[in-house]
Amino acid sequence: MEEDFELLAKFKKGDQQAFELLVRKYKMTVYNTIYSIMGNAQEADDIAQEVFLKVYTKADSFKGESSFSTWLYRITVNRCVDELRRRKNKIISYETEFNQEEKLKLKDVLASRENDITEKLRRKELQDIIQKAMNSLPEKYRIILTLKEIEGLSYKEISQIMKISLAKVKIWLFRARQKLKGKLAFLYSQGE
Amino acid sequence: MSCKKFKILLSAYLDQEITQDEEKKLLNHLKTCLDCARELKYLKQMKRVFLLKEKKEPQEFFETRLFARIRSKRERLAWRAYLPVFKKSILAVLIFFLLVVGLLNYRNFLYHRPAEIISDLLIDTEIEENFEEELLEIYYGPLG
Repeated sequence: MEEDFELLAKFKKGDQQAFELLVRKYKMTVYNTIYSIMGNAQEADDIAQEVFLKVYTKADSFKGESSFSTWLYRITVNRCVDELRRRKNKIISYETEFNQEEKLKLKDVLASRENDITEKLRRKELQDIIQKAMNSLPEKYRIILTLKEIEGLSYKEISQIMKISLAKVKIWLFRARQKLKGKLAFLYSQGE
Repeated sequence: MSCKKFKILLSAYLDQEITQDEEKKLLNHLKTCLDCARELKYLKQMKRVFLLKEKKEPQEFFETRLFARIRSKRERLAWRAYLPVFKKSILAVLIFFLLVVGLLNYRNFLYHRPAEIISDLLIDTEIEENFEEELLEIYYGPLG
């Protein structure tokens, strides 16, 4: 955290390399957060670029009231929300239903041991399946699950990023998991 | 506490975001409630699904593309930084130009009247001269 503040202070004084270091440090975080929320690699790449451009031009507005990463997450989430609102006027549909093969694959992997080599290979195929489950959720639940499960943030950090109370974070995560449970019901049934 | 409230607590318990008191109550409840115990098992399984999700790399040359965009933005911003200075200079030149043009036109208006007005004046002068000649002829007879 201190390192981020230092880099940002250097960048504000005109050190371009400090900004490049911040980009290198956070590009994966920003990209994966966006990808998980938007569900599309190309879109995630474009938005990630815009996020860093915004950081570049608005660095002076960061007063250090939160950590740099919280500020960066807030910019990222806000940009995704803007894009999702814009997208509402367009007809974009992502496939959110699982086919039989996908269901079996997910069940198999969850049943297998962690250190299995074949499992690691299968994991790659699973990424699309997990993303499909995420895409089926309403936006706010997709955002909150991304911040919690993909980024591993605390409730306090999530409440700062999404600007909601801690109680709301708790309820939204509960509801998001209930919705996801419905989507992954085949994992719990014995029949399939 | 109802089962629904315990289920909300279960979600927070999984994230290690409940107080010690809440945890104590929850664990006691789980001993007696099969439905909530099953729910906890499902939630743990769901959490495992997310552990399978791997981090993806952005598309190729992410940084190169970004820094190129930043460079072009910086150039635009640099030009904009001079814009207020440019604005003042352009305004000063414009005011000076208008003043010069205005002054020249004013002088033209005073000293160079339009052609038709001058010709009218010439006609008037001619008439006046003819009138004087006519008067001289009346008093002194035909000239020459």
